[in-house]
Amino acid sequence: MSQQRDPQTGMDTLSVQVTEEHKMASIGRLLAGIVHEINTPIGSIVSNNQVIMRALEMVKQALAEPQPASLDKAKGVLDTCISLASVDKIACERILEVIRGLKTFARVDSSELRKTDLNEQILNTLKLTHGEFRRRVHVETDLGDMPPVECYPHMLNQVFLNILVNAGQAIEGEGKIVVRTRRAGDFVEVSISDTGHGIRPEDRNRIFAGGFTTKAVGVGTGLGLSISKKIVEETHNGSIDFESEVGRGTTFHVRLPIEQAKSRPTSSLK
Amino acid sequence: MGTNQKPSVLIVDDEEMVITSVRAYLQLETEFEIHGFTDPEQALKHIASNLIDIVVSDYLMPKISGIQLLGKARAIQPEASRVLLTGHADKQSAIQAINDVGLYQYIEKPWENAQLLLIIQNGIERARLLRTLHDKVSELDTAHSSLKDVQRRLLQAFL
Repeated sequence: MSQQRDPQTGMDTLSVQVTEEHKMASIGRLLAGIVHEINTPIGSIVSNNQVIMRALEMVKQALAEPQPASLDKAKGVLDTCISLASVDKIACERILEVIRGLKTFARVDSSELRKTDLNEQILNTLKLTHGEFRRRVHVETDLGDMPPVECYPHMLNQVFLNILVNAGQAIEGEGKIVVRTRRAGDFVEVSISDTGHGIRPEDRNRIFAGGFTTKAVGVGTGLGLSISKKIVEETHNGSIDFESEVGRGTTFHVRLPIEQAKSRPTSSLK
Repeated sequence: MGTNQKPSVLIVDDEEMVITSVRAYLQLETEFEIHGFTDPEQALKHIASNLIDIVVSDYLMPKISGIQLLGKARAIQPEASRVLLTGHADKQSAIQAINDVGLYQYIEKPWENAQLLLIIQNGIERARLLRTLHDKVSELDTAHSSLKDVQRRLLQAFL
């Protein structure tokens, strides 16, 4: 069967479409966490704004008819305003971090290979899962010195998001995820380990197959890892594999070349 | 008992910024005594040794959930009103809380200050009425048993 291929990514056009839809589905699943992550700082900012407005009114009145007692009170009120303004600053930074994380997924100017700081991309992706994981899953990062990697960052983010969401779902109750990055010669390696329930031996050779899932209906599409494999192996000439022990956890390894070959193997197949 | 004291409000949220904001607002608008805790276990210690009129708690917290915290608060001080303040857009948890811990109110984040104040004021009034009722009932009990005693002695004297 001859299919049209995307000249940039080397994927057939159907895969590109499925990949895009799956990306939206994974973000959709994280949405509750993202909403929660933004709700608290927004709540604080809205409340602080009201308080500051009221407080400034009080200060204005005190200044209009200056008396020692009212001026003293005004000083206290101003101190409250200052502390609320610094809370607002922290709250805005929290919201900005989530937005930055979302932006790395919304990027559309990415039809070209870009030299990318993968550590930064991973940190941005973690900001999206933070809301979902925060109380339950502790995330540790061990990010090594990495050269800029030539890649399609939004696609790799999707791979990292897939593996992270899977890792989080594999953990029942509380657990830990460790993200590790290293350079290895002309390659970089990203490893994501979880302390989840592991992959059963009988499922191990099927997990990269499209449509295979052990998750409940509505939890997984069964496409995450098959798309991830395509992105890593076909689009970036890398490799993806895993080690798993039932009851102890799973580690996924993603290996990527630092530079992509000038002529793409996929286009030479035509 | 305790009704001459300033109303006492307890705020529990693992996010310091929520406590700071709510405290600043209540301090500006009211004369309430406000205690805030980011650690639910410390909040429980406070409840165990201080009279509280209302507890406002976050839902998702490390170690103890808001529902568990309010459940324990209910066991220690049943009259104190219990309010869940949550950013988790999950009606299921609200329903569970209302049934399990006899929640007084459920507020979603981002919250509205005026609404929060009204709920806290009403919650305080409710707690104080319950305590007064409790006191009156035990006064009645005492009066009833002393009447019984008098009746018994009267019967003994005349029969």
